[in-house]
Amino acid sequence: MGTAPEPQAGRGGKRGQRMDAAGSEMDAEGLALLTATLDQLARAHDGAELTKALDDFGFPEVLATSPREAASSLFTAMGQAGTTSAAFQDVLIGNASGRLLGPDAGEAQSIVLPPVGAATAGRVDAGSITLRGLILGQRTNVGPLLVPADSADGVVWVRLPADLPAERLAIRSVAGLDPALMMAEVTATGPADVVLGGPAADQAWRAVVAAGRRALAYQIVGAVTAMLDLAVTHARDRVQFGQPIGAFQAVRHRLADAYVAREGAAAALDICWEADDEELAAMLAKSLAGRAARIAATQCQQVLAGIGFTAEHPFHRYLARALVLDQLLGSATDLPAQIGARLAAAGTLPRLADL
Amino acid sequence: MTPAEFREAFRSWLAGVDLDASPVQSGSVAVLLAHQRRLQRLLYDADLMRWGWPESVGGLGGSPVLRAVLGEELTSRGLVHTTTWTMLEVLGPAVIAYGRPGVVTEIFPRLLRGDETWCQGFSEPEAGSDLGSLRTTARRAGDGDSWVINGEKLWTSFAHGASRCVVLARTGPAGSGSRGISAFLVDMDTPGISARPLQTMADVDEFCATSFTDVVVPADRLLGDVDGGWRVAGHILGCERGAIFWQRGAWLGHHLAALLPLATDARSQALVGDAFQLLWTFRARSMATQRQIAAGAVPGAETSVDKIMIAAAEQAVFDTARELLAGAIETGDTPEAAAWRREWFYSRAATIYGGTSEIQKDIVSLRLLGLPRGGR
Repeated sequence: MGTAPEPQAGRGGKRGQRMDAAGSEMDAEGLALLTATLDQLARAHDGAELTKALDDFGFPEVLATSPREAASSLFTAMGQAGTTSAAFQDVLIGNASGRLLGPDAGEAQSIVLPPVGAATAGRVDAGSITLRGLILGQRTNVGPLLVPADSADGVVWVRLPADLPAERLAIRSVAGLDPALMMAEVTATGPADVVLGGPAADQAWRAVVAAGRRALAYQIVGAVTAMLDLAVTHARDRVQFGQPIGAFQAVRHRLADAYVAREGAAAALDICWEADDEELAAMLAKSLAGRAARIAATQCQQVLAGIGFTAEHPFHRYLARALVLDQLLGSATDLPAQIGARLAAAGTLPRLADL
Repeated sequence: MTPAEFREAFRSWLAGVDLDASPVQSGSVAVLLAHQRRLQRLLYDADLMRWGWPESVGGLGGSPVLRAVLGEELTSRGLVHTTTWTMLEVLGPAVIAYGRPGVVTEIFPRLLRGDETWCQGFSEPEAGSDLGSLRTTARRAGDGDSWVINGEKLWTSFAHGASRCVVLARTGPAGSGSRGISAFLVDMDTPGISARPLQTMADVDEFCATSFTDVVVPADRLLGDVDGGWRVAGHILGCERGAIFWQRGAWLGHHLAALLPLATDARSQALVGDAFQLLWTFRARSMATQRQIAAGAVPGAETSVDKIMIAAAEQAVFDTARELLAGAIETGDTPEAAAWRREWFYSRAATIYGGTSEIQKDIVSLRLLGLPRGGR
């Protein structure tokens, strides 16, 4: 297996000093409170408002000290509530190397993701960058952009100030399938300010991708839960042929399929935090979350039938969100081949984690 | 003894032992069982076989998770066949929980040491998923100091090589359903028992049709209470989801790993990746179940999810094998090809045995999703 990235500065960068062993161990009561608070915020607010509420709460700092609890609670809750925020950028930045964040640390930086289907966002040749990428969780106050780009020497990170002239940098707010998702498309050309190269750049990119995949997977699993809840409620309440439609085995089994897929993705997310190979575990969690979303989308849509096809029913909002998030950082279609290639290159299968 | 210490003990034992695992490739139940017994004896003599079982029955105590670790270490290396390893775990815990202490303390060490194989007489020609409709009867005889069993059992794995059988029989009146069933631990050399292997499409002679004609069973071989067999059966089916699933997942990993050298193009890698993610998701789920068991919980309906997942993983792994072996399963005549062929065919039953996937989906939808029971 590939070497796991060394602990990254995000768990100790400027935005949240690494706690000592005692400090990082929040007690059970503290964790329960954290989870409940994030859940509540994610349900009460959306978009820029939620971003502000999370900033006020100190989400980046909480993420630095309790990465698992903070990410799992917030992204699952956002997925389930159908809300979103710029916290995704906090996760990416929090897992980037401190050297990468450099002089801008503390500013509202954004990391640019590859466009759908691509491995990196840009290409650097002879000191010049060509960029087309996506920002998820774009803040209203746009700060410097950090771009992972291919180059002759592998992945390098390029810094782009947000105030470049329009002919060099364009940031277009993306509506697409899910206008509420706070996405932007970035295109840029011109001289590249490479802020990190070599093995450290590659390592930072791998850590950022793994963290991003986990966060997206949590949000997708949350959306799957919402779809399933809607469909189960409908199957209990909707009466046809003299009985609730959920009493028909054909209907029940569709929902069982969605439930099993959701449980599987959730279990894969749980194991991410103790797996020997963090990158592979995150690929699997993202792939399985996307797979669960596709199964749930099909089965729940069918069970919700006519009402689920209307604009007034909330189902389609979760569907749209899951479809878009599935496409970012590797979809359920793309990832199995990448996982297989990685296993074939290693020649062995990892043992999950020890009992 | 922690799982980590136990794993270490196993590995150092393995490094020093000369073990021929080639019988695991055999399609003959006699060869597989002989290998299993020989291996168990080696493990028993090294004390490894006894950890995780209560001291009262000849074990060394410790968490049952140690047994899951042992199974994983063995099947992940292909040192034992997953199905022969399974029987011990299927029946052992229930016999300990429900057997008469005198009987259990006498015979259990023989099971651990590999002196005996046990089998499970549940299914019948007219009672598959609908186990509550079974027709085999047990009637009190003598002065109540014995029972007489009559009936037919089907799909009795390893019955022709077994010393004892856990038999479910009706002790209540006809039509008493699941409430009128009792469980017995029956010696297979009792007069009136015959076990005939069934030919299966998997070319494995594991399963038997087993008949019981006026089979006399001493009263102390009753497991649990009279008419309390349903609980014993539930316990047995629940146990399947513990250490057994864990080692079966490792067995699947062993087979998928063997295909990695063949995954040289994007299509093959996509198949391997997909099979692996289904195996991974099952293993991640099962790990949580193993931890619950270690903490003393008896998992219930939620393990139907594990069952659905392992069946999907098993079929995906062997479907991937069929693709990547490029014709070996269909046209190969080597022993290796025959072994893959058996495993592929056996995997077709993964969604059938131990409660079909449809039964599991019913349990998930009724008990975990709270959907209403209904007609069609």
